[in-house]
Amino acid sequence: MRQMDVEARRRAAATIRERFLEIVEQMRRGEKPVLVMPKRTLSNTIYDVRRRMLLLGPDKIKRSFLDLGEARRFMQTLLMASIIYEALVNDEYPTIRDLYYRGKHTLRGRENTWDTQRESDAAIRDVESYTGLLREEMLILSKEKGKVVGRMRIRSGGDVIDLSRMGHGAYSIEPTPDQIEFLDIDAEYVLVIEKDAVFQQLHRIKFWDKHKALLITSAGQPDRATRRFVRRLSDELGLPVYILTDSDPYGFYIYSVFKIGSVTLSYESERLATPDAKFIGVMPSDIFGDEVLEKYADAFAKLLGKRGLRKILTGKKPVLSAGERRNYIIRAKPSDVMRAIELVGVDTYAPFRKYVESKLRVGGKELRELRRKEHAGYDWFKTPEWIREIGIFFATLSKLEIEALTSRGLRFLAHKYIPEKIETGDWIE
Amino acid sequence: MSASPEGFRSLSAAEFFYRNREIAGFSNPTRALYQTVRELVENALDAADTHGILPVVKVYVERVRGDVGYYRVTVEDNGIGIPPQYVPQAFGQVLFSSKYVLRQSRGMFGLGAKMAILYGQMTTGLPVEVVSSPARHYRIHYYKILIDVKENKPIILEHKSWRKSGSWHGTIVSTTVEGDWSRARSYIYDYIRGTAVVAPYADIFFQDPDGNIVRFPRSISKMPPPPRKVKPHPHGVDIEQLKMLISASKATNLYDFLVESFQAIGPKSARSFLEWAGLVDPENPDDKGIDPHKMKRGELEYLARKLKEYSGFKAPRTDPLSPLGEEIIVAGLKKVYEPDFVAAVTRRPRAYSGHPFIVEAAVAYGGRIKSSDEPMLIRYANKIPLLMDMKSDVSWKVVDPKRFDWRNYLVSFPAPLLVLVHVCSTKVPFRGVGKESIADVPELESEIRNAVREVARRLRRFLSRKRREEELKQRIDTFLKYVPEVARSLSVIMGGDGEKELRRMLLEVIRRHVGLPEHEARSLEEKLGRLGDKR
Repeated sequence: MRQMDVEARRRAAATIRERFLEIVEQMRRGEKPVLVMPKRTLSNTIYDVRRRMLLLGPDKIKRSFLDLGEARRFMQTLLMASIIYEALVNDEYPTIRDLYYRGKHTLRGRENTWDTQRESDAAIRDVESYTGLLREEMLILSKEKGKVVGRMRIRSGGDVIDLSRMGHGAYSIEPTPDQIEFLDIDAEYVLVIEKDAVFQQLHRIKFWDKHKALLITSAGQPDRATRRFVRRLSDELGLPVYILTDSDPYGFYIYSVFKIGSVTLSYESERLATPDAKFIGVMPSDIFGDEVLEKYADAFAKLLGKRGLRKILTGKKPVLSAGERRNYIIRAKPSDVMRAIELVGVDTYAPFRKYVESKLRVGGKELRELRRKEHAGYDWFKTPEWIREIGIFFATLSKLEIEALTSRGLRFLAHKYIPEKIETGDWIE
Repeated sequence: MSASPEGFRSLSAAEFFYRNREIAGFSNPTRALYQTVRELVENALDAADTHGILPVVKVYVERVRGDVGYYRVTVEDNGIGIPPQYVPQAFGQVLFSSKYVLRQSRGMFGLGAKMAILYGQMTTGLPVEVVSSPARHYRIHYYKILIDVKENKPIILEHKSWRKSGSWHGTIVSTTVEGDWSRARSYIYDYIRGTAVVAPYADIFFQDPDGNIVRFPRSISKMPPPPRKVKPHPHGVDIEQLKMLISASKATNLYDFLVESFQAIGPKSARSFLEWAGLVDPENPDDKGIDPHKMKRGELEYLARKLKEYSGFKAPRTDPLSPLGEEIIVAGLKKVYEPDFVAAVTRRPRAYSGHPFIVEAAVAYGGRIKSSDEPMLIRYANKIPLLMDMKSDVSWKVVDPKRFDWRNYLVSFPAPLLVLVHVCSTKVPFRGVGKESIADVPELESEIRNAVREVARRLRRFLSRKRREEELKQRIDTFLKYVPEVARSLSVIMGGDGEKELRRMLLEVIRRHVGLPEHEARSLEEKLGRLGDKR
């Protein structure tokens, strides 16, 4: 048993005991047993401008055992806490599926403690937010998804691993990234790539070696372990983090999850978000430049003011030629437009509405749905830089996958596009 | 409506009633068998309870000849008995009765039993057999009697007597009639059960032709006070009655006639009435009006009308009415239906057209009452169960869920709800000749409605308490269900022990939360024990 593991277990178990002792104390004082925990809803999710991450607001919920509607959930939360506690003290590493099976049994009559994993997963989230412990800290395992390679050595489970000697494979980021010990590192920045395929290509040509980078992929929507790992690299080693995703609203959102956290799981942002992460691309302005926005200048002046407008219209030139664009870009669908409206809000969308509706070849039903879309947008996307990028998306209705850049030649992506963007500071903070 | 006196003269009374037997309820073998049981049982109860004796009534229906449907109905009571010299007339002569007076009693014509005997004799040719002995008599008498229909006279076929060895008194009547048991069965059972409800002070035994026996033992020893005879109220008399009263009176002037023949008329009110009606000279205090015996038809009509119109009379007296009383109704319903809740009310006397009446109502809920989309209505007129034509009865008009909003009283159908309505009056306003349903008299209807509302309000209190208790029980069950799991989980987190103590604390928290008193704590623990904790 590694020292780190033992300590993590002791710490988590002690926290659980301490928190639930409060319930016993309540009863001893003759009070009703009540679990007080942060309210996990969108309305209680606050974007902390100073710390640049999504945090839970001050609202609390009280889950009382003596409330008919909550008694069952109360029981489930305690049951889950006891199973996690037992696993901690018995040196076990349950997965969330294990926790589901361990806790499932029949109460009196036909009622089960829980019926579906949805219910037991909700109980895990309750234990997390009641104790303030993340599941990783409670040594609950999940599927490994993220990978890393680069000039770095770490210690994990007592073994020293050289991340530059992984052959064609890569190191899978373990579900308990807090137990990884950073030994030594010879890298200047972290590059996180949304697409696993692009990660593999860059790994084969040893991009990380030539450019002194730690190369990470989240293989799509990042899991918690990858986000925590990236956060530690940023926090503890002070490495700049650049994120490369597809040029579409879905990719922009992946960046946002790395940077400030997800709306649904904001209680973990404090430990998982990397506020300093930079969006390096692929930006719509990389594809089109910013001249497509010139005819919307008046509208943007109204929206952002003269200074804001100057930030948007910088005369940026596209990296792709008109011919390449024709070959690589993908037409946006109404669902992409909807997603984009969610990010920046309807006010940014308004100048493009007419154009978008005339270009989207969709039926009346989808159009009506689009017109009904009401969203104020997220504060952290309502910056001049993002308004420019998503404005270009509206104005062109085009998406681009990272792979499209490699088809122009892997070298272009590896040795020109990425290094030049980093050198010139062409990213969004 | 009523037969003219001329009709009686040309036919013997017995013959007249036989020819009009459907009036008395003997229209077919089904009705006849049921009606026979009913008439004999009512006479038996009257013989006991109106004389202050707690009744013991035994009823036997036997199949005499299955092929032609002859049934022998025997009813035994422990009443005052009949003096031996009157037995032949009492059972063998129509219109000989002690009931032809103005008071509430069960019998309808005072000839119901004789109608049964007459019907039996005409359908089977068999005589009635009577055994009777009054209290404090030394002998028991036995008669076998036929009715001479043409002459309206009893024919005594046999008469025996023997010394009593004990102190038995009462009457046993046995008559054989043509009937249809399979169809009459449910009516007879309903009748016996209905009678047991309103006579819980009686011990009723019944054996049917198939040998089945039901017994409703006495459950209360209190009896309703026996009704008393009273003079008629001026608002309630018609010309014919007025004629009868005059012919029975020896008064020589209107003033004396009114004062002595009516209730609610004293010297003062007689004087004011006569002056108001212009029948005496107001200036002459010695004018007492003409001799009523010399009044012509027009004058009689005028007098009857004025008696009805005058508003200065006191309300009719209620002594002739014999309500059951709340205690007896409650005891009766409890005995027969074992309900979860029962409430009864006896309303204050009221009058319609000069006839006093009292409405009694009760509701019973749960127990052996079957759940149904409508309330189960059981009706009584002067303590007699009314079994047929229910939907045309004024009581049904009141309790019909289409017109009475039972939801206001927290009853949602289907519900195990029974409503009892008892109307007692010196003149129950029956609808039609069948005398099985009561007509819509506005005064009666509103009184029944008030009575049902009154008991329904009490039912609402019960149901709302029951609802609260059920909710509480459900809450406690929900909490208890999770107690073992919560206690076990907490004890695991706390290091593995103290589970029992945690359970106790949880139970205490639940007990205080749901507001159970401290001494109920054990019951919670026991309940939890019963639920068991299956792991």
